[in-house]
Amino acid sequence: MKNKFQWNNLFLAIIVIVLAVFPLVSDSRTWTILLTQIFIFSILAMSYDILLGYTGIVSFGHAMFFGMGAYTTAVMLKRMEPTIGVFILSIVCGMLLAALISFFIGLMTLRLKSHFFAMLTLAVSGLFLVLAEKWRTVTHGNDGFTFKAPEFFKDRMMFYFVTLICLVLVYLLLRRFVNSPFGRVLVAIRENEQRTKSLGFNTLHYKVIASVVAGVIASLAGSLYAVSLRFVNTSVLTMDITLDALLMTIIGGVGTLIGPIVGAGVIELAQHYLSGLAKEYPIFERWIIFFGIVYILAVIFFPRGIVGTVREKFWKRKTKTRPLGKEEVS
Amino acid sequence: MKTLLKVDGIHTHIGQYHILQGISFEAREGEVSVLLGRNGAGKTTTLKTIMGLTPASKGAVQFDGQEITKKATYTIANAGIGYVPEDQGIFGDLTVEENMKVAMRKEDEAAFARQDYVLGLFPDLKKFWKKDGGHLSGGQKQMLSMARAFVNDSKLLLIDEPSKGLAPIVVEKVMEAITEMKKSTTIVLVEQNFIMASRIGDRYTLIDDGETVHAGDMADLIRNEEIKRKYLGIG
Amino acid sequence: MELLINLTVNGLATGMLIFLLASGLTLIFGLMSVLNFAHGGLFAWGAFSGVWFYTISGSFIIGILGAILTGIILGFITEKLIITPVYGNHVQQILITLGFMLVLAEMLKVVWGPNQIAAKVPSYLAGSWEFGDVLIIKYRLFIIIVGFVVFGIFQYMLQKTKIGLIVRAGVMDKDMVQSLGINIKRVFLYVFMAGAALAALSGVLFAPYSGVIYAEMGFEFAILAFIVVVIGGMGSFPGSLFAAILVGLAGSYMAYYVPALSLAVNMLLMAIVLIFRPQGLFTAKG
Ligand SMILES: Nc1ncnc2c1ncn2[C@@H]1O[C@H](COP(=O)(O)OP(=O)(O)OP(=O)(O)O)[C@@H](O)[C@H]1O
Ligand SMILES: [Mg+2]
Repeated sequence: MKNKFQWNNLFLAIIVIVLAVFPLVSDSRTWTILLTQIFIFSILAMSYDILLGYTGIVSFGHAMFFGMGAYTTAVMLKRMEPTIGVFILSIVCGMLLAALISFFIGLMTLRLKSHFFAMLTLAVSGLFLVLAEKWRTVTHGNDGFTFKAPEFFKDRMMFYFVTLICLVLVYLLLRRFVNSPFGRVLVAIRENEQRTKSLGFNTLHYKVIASVVAGVIASLAGSLYAVSLRFVNTSVLTMDITLDALLMTIIGGVGTLIGPIVGAGVIELAQHYLSGLAKEYPIFERWIIFFGIVYILAVIFFPRGIVGTVREKFWKRKTKTRPLGKEEVS
Repeated sequence: MKTLLKVDGIHTHIGQYHILQGISFEAREGEVSVLLGRNGAGKTTTLKTIMGLTPASKGAVQFDGQEITKKATYTIANAGIGYVPEDQGIFGDLTVEENMKVAMRKEDEAAFARQDYVLGLFPDLKKFWKKDGGHLSGGQKQMLSMARAFVNDSKLLLIDEPSKGLAPIVVEKVMEAITEMKKSTTIVLVEQNFIMASRIGDRYTLIDDGETVHAGDMADLIRNEEIKRKYLGIG
Repeated sequence: MELLINLTVNGLATGMLIFLLASGLTLIFGLMSVLNFAHGGLFAWGAFSGVWFYTISGSFIIGILGAILTGIILGFITEKLIITPVYGNHVQQILITLGFMLVLAEMLKVVWGPNQIAAKVPSYLAGSWEFGDVLIIKYRLFIIIVGFVVFGIFQYMLQKTKIGLIVRAGVMDKDMVQSLGINIKRVFLYVFMAGAALAALSGVLFAPYSGVIYAEMGFEFAILAFIVVVIGGMGSFPGSLFAAILVGLAGSYMAYYVPALSLAVNMLLMAIVLIFRPQGLFTAKG
C-alpha cells in the first residue's frame, strides 16, 4: 500500500518534470498556450471536484467564483499598475472575495436539498452575470476590456511556469485537504449525509467550508485565466464555464483530483483539434455535442470517469467510494 | 386447505440497514393470519416487502402459485393483493369518492357492487362521500383505506395495525368489518392489540428483530403464557 | 393608465409562456421528484421545429401542431433514454439532464444553423386593437387566451378525469398509487410527454412574440421556469400559474420602471422563497 503510494508520486513527479522542461525544448507557441490553458482549467476543475466528487454537492454556479477572480485581477491590473505585486495582491483579493461570498451563499443555501441547491446556485450566478453586464463603469459590460499583464509575463514561458507551479501547489494542497480527517467527513457526507449528521457532525459546517475552499481555488483559476488572455468580459461568469468544469470533472473522474486534470487535458486538446477540423468539416464546429454525449454516457455507464475506471481496471484496487451520490427518492 | 401466500426466508435491506433477516410464514386461503411482535420488530417491513415496496434481497415470496418476489408493486397488486398501510395512505387532496375511484381498477358492475357492499360496512364513508380524505377522522381514514383495498376483487388483504390510535368503539367497528371481509378473502393482519388479534386470528406468526421466532395456531398461543410474556410482554 | 394596461398585458403574455413551460416541470417534479434541467431544451426545440413547420406549410396552426408533436416525441425519447436510467438518484439526474440540455441546444444548431431565425406573427393575429387610448396587441392577447385555455383543459383533466386523479394521487403518495395496482412509471411517462408538449407549445408561441429565436433561449427561459416552480410550490399546477403571472408581471413592470433590476428581481424573489419557504407558496399536499 505504502509502496504503491510512492509509485504514484514518482509517476506524477516525472510528469511534472516533463511538463517543466517542455517549453525549454520546444518553442511551439501554440503548445505553450494550450498547456497553460489546460493548467488553468485543471485548477478550476479540481476545485469543482471538491464539491461534486468529495462532498456530493452539485453547484451550477461555480462560474461566479471563477469570474470574481478574473474580474478582480483584471480590474486591479488595469486601475493600479501592471506589476507582479499588484497581480499577487489581486489574487489574494479575489480569493478573499470568493471566500466571503461562498461562505454567505453556502450558509444560506447548503441546507437545501440537492436540486434546490443546484437551482439556487444557477440563479445566484445569473445575478452576478447580470451585475457584471450592468455595472459598465467597472466591467465595460459585455464588451469587456483589455489590460496590461505584468512585464514579467511578457514571455509566455514565464506565465506557463507560474500556472504549472500553481497547479502543482493546488493539487498537493487539495490532496492533503481531502486526505485529512476533514476530507473524510466530506466523503462521509457524500455517502450518507443523514448518517453523518447522526454521528454528531455538523454537516452544514463541513459543507460550507468545502464550498469556501472550492470557491477560493476557482477564483485563483479565474485570476490566472484573465492574465492569460489579458482581457476579460462577462463570458467568465457564464454557464459555459460551469459546464466546462462539470464536463472535465465527470469525464476525468469525480472524487479523484487527478481526474479533473486529465479531464481538462482531454477536453482542451480535443477542443483544439476538433475546432481545427471544423475548418474542413463544419460539423465539428459543434464539437460540444460530442462531449455532451460522452458526458451523458459517462454519468450513466462510467460514473467514475476516465481515472476512476482505469484505476479500477488496471490497479485492481477496489475504490471504496461510490461516485455520484446514491440517495434514494423518498 | 390451500396455501395462498408463502413467504420463504426473506431478507430486506433499506439503505445499508439489514432490516429483515429471515422471515417465513404462510397464509392459508380463507384464514386470518396475524403477524405479532414488538415495535420495530419488522412487521410493517414484511408487508412492504410482500408488496414489493421494499424488495427482498434474499428469499422468495409466492402468491397463488406465482413467484412475486422481484415483481413491480403494481403487478403484485394486480395479481390480487390489496394493501392497507400503517399510515392508511389516504390521498388527502382527493375526496372519499375520488379515493375510491383511483383504487377501482375496472369500473364494472361487479366493482360497484363491491363498493356498495363495503359502503354498507362503513356507512360513515357514504356520509362523507364528497369530503376531502385529508379531513377525515383517524377512524374514517382507516375505513376508507380498507374500503379502497377491498373494492377490487383481491384474493388477499394485507392490513397493517388497523386499530392503531383508534377509540375502542371504533376499533370494534373495524374489527367487525374485518370479520365480515374474512368471509370472502384471505387476510394477513398486523395487530398489536392481542385481545383483538386473538379474537379474529386463526394463525399467528411471531416476529422479533427481523426474524420469525414462532408460528402456529392462534389457539395455542392463547394458552402459551411463556411466549406471550417473552415476546409480547403480556400474559 | 394605458401604460399600465400595456405593461400588464405584456406581463401576462410573458407569464403565460412561462406558465406553459413551468407546468410540465412542476408536475414532473411533483410526481417523481425529477428536476428536469433539460426542459428548456424542449422549449427551444418547440420554437425551432414549430417555426420550421410554420414556414414550409405557411400555416401557423400547422406550426403549432408540429411543435407539439416534436415535443411529444422528444419527451418520449428523453424519458426513456435520459431519465429512466437514473431514477432515484438526484445527483445523477441533475447532472444528466443538464448534459442533455447542452446536447439539445447544440443539436438545434446542427439542424437549423447557429444563427438566430426570424419568426413573424401570422397575418390574422398581427396588429392591434385600439380602445380609446389603450392599444392591445392581438398576438399578446392570443397568447394569454391560449394560456388560460390550456390551464383550463389541464385543470379539468387533473380534477375530473381518472388519469388526472391518478396523477394528483401520485404527487401525494407514489407508493400507495402503485399499491393500488397502477403502473406509476407509465403514468409518469405520459406526464413527461405532456410536459414536453407544453414546453414545445410555449416555445412556438414565443417565436412570433419575440420575433427571433436562438438556441440559447432554452437556458434563459428555463431559469424563469425554475423560479416559477420554486415560488409556486413543486408539484402544484395552480401554484405555477400564479407564480408565472407574478414573475411575468414583475418582469414587465420592472423592465419599464427599473430596467437594471428586471432580471434580478425574479431571482431575488426565488432566493427569498427558497430560503424562507422552500416548499413554495402553494403546496401539492393538502
Ligand atoms: N426507511 C427506513 N430506514 C431505516 N430504518 C428503517 C426504515 N423503515 C424501517 N426501519 C427500521 O426497521 C425496523 C422495523 O421497522 P418496521 O416498521 O417494520 O417495524 P414494525 O414491526 O412495523 O414496528 P411498529 O409496531 O412500531 O409499527 C425498525 O427498527 C425501523 O427503525
Ligand atoms: Mg409497523
